[in-house]
Amino acid sequence: MPDPSIPSRPRYKPFALMPAARSHLVIAEHAEDLSDLPAGSSEAPIEFWVVAHDARALGTQRLNGSVEITRYRSVPHLLDQLTYRLEREYVGLQLYAIGTEPFIWDIARLARAHGLDRDEFHPTHSGTLRRRVYCVHCRSFTDNVSTTIAVCSGCGAHLQVRDHFSQRLAAFMGVQVDAEVPGELPPIEEAYP
Amino acid sequence: MSSPGALTLRVREAEMISPLLKRFILESADRAPLPSTGPGAHLRLMLTDGQRKFRNAYSIAAAAPDNSAYEIIVRSVPRSRGGSVFLHEHVHAGTIIEADFPGNLFPLSQVARKHLLIGGGIGITPFLGYLVHFKKMPAPFELHHFCRVEEETTFGQLLRRAEGGKIHLHPELVTEFDLAGMLRTQPLGTHLYVCGPEIFMELVLAAARSQGWPCSKLHSESFGGAHAGGAPFVAVLKRSGLEIHVPEDQTLLEAIEAAGVEPPSLCRGGACGQCVTEILEGEPEHRDHYLSAEEHAAGRAMMICVSRAKRERIVLDL
Repeated sequence: MPDPSIPSRPRYKPFALMPAARSHLVIAEHAEDLSDLPAGSSEAPIEFWVVAHDARALGTQRLNGSVEITRYRSVPHLLDQLTYRLEREYVGLQLYAIGTEPFIWDIARLARAHGLDRDEFHPTHSGTLRRRVYCVHCRSFTDNVSTTIAVCSGCGAHLQVRDHFSQRLAAFMGVQVDAEVPGELPPIEEAYP
Repeated sequence: MSSPGALTLRVREAEMISPLLKRFILESADRAPLPSTGPGAHLRLMLTDGQRKFRNAYSIAAAAPDNSAYEIIVRSVPRSRGGSVFLHEHVHAGTIIEADFPGNLFPLSQVARKHLLIGGGIGITPFLGYLVHFKKMPAPFELHHFCRVEEETTFGQLLRRAEGGKIHLHPELVTEFDLAGMLRTQPLGTHLYVCGPEIFMELVLAAARSQGWPCSKLHSESFGGAHAGGAPFVAVLKRSGLEIHVPEDQTLLEAIEAAGVEPPSLCRGGACGQCVTEILEGEPEHRDHYLSAEEHAAGRAMMICVSRAKRERIVLDL
């Protein structure tokens, strides 16, 4: 669980099915995130979506009775299908996302665009703490950042990775660290394993 | 904070639009523009009938584009606290009425992707304001209005003001309608608004919750004063050293104000939290939407604008 140093740093709750729902859609970035979830603890139908990264295991499968699991080949594939699905969904759906921060906030963005609010979308953090960093100078995103200072994938600047998180951009803010004296860098540390 | 009698209004027109409904057009007594209001706003009128004083809130069904007048529609309710009967029998064109600045406890959501409006009887009035707004600022909406068979024509005429959207007038009981089916098929991002008799609203809200609607998507209006009355009791104001008798047709806040104490207050509808007051002794009957369930259970503070005492006596830190 990330330790928030400033208020914009999101906090996450452990996964739990909401008691009031017409249906649940649980989306996980990794199959192992689904393994120890409570399944039949809701009267409403539950669906699981997961990224499989294995073309031989795609498609929908019915587990014990009312639970369906659908596997997608990649994150973009899943996000495309989710857009299509949310456009046709009705109020009463509870949406859950389990995974790394870039993943759950990509889903959060789709959820918000389709009118879901904090009572209807529930993110749970799982997996690596590596960050997606937004360069405030050139507006490029740099993924998989594990260090306190990262090189921007767009402009090559050395960015200090802040705890300031933008829910709209689904990324942490990165600010040039050697703007005053170019080349003078503080020690770089592994901070986000 | 709105002080009593902030607005002095003159009745420009008063007209019966059905055997039980009376429409009033109110303008500023000095012809100065009235405060701007948004859809869902209400006006609290201060009426005096001899010794009796009423403070009744009515939804603003329409405001003139230049803010020169407000329209309200009042149903005569013989067994109510009496304000509506007074308006029906004693308020005519030319009558001067005092009112608070308009408030709004029933605004439209700014992020809704669709608005689902469900009205019962005179609960149509805030929605008439919504419909005026949708004419200027089009948005997807659907209106279901339930009324008595004999009032179908009246409500049909009121709803003719609307353009676009989907308007359904049901001259039937809401229990005869497939509410669950309608609530199951509303697109994501729909906000539900309900206004009408208390039992009607509870029924609609319960139906929505059972279809999985989250609280954040549910909005209800209760005509401002609907929850004001209750059994009479005595409120002791410790710091002021006053003992106040709160009659059944007055709120605790109104009774305190009548005794000359002016505690902070704003919405007067149990929503804003301004009038939160510490309880020193006694048990409250909570009717607000501000305090959490835990705070209600703890019983250490209450919203004096809507909540009352459960027994004959309560001691407040005022």
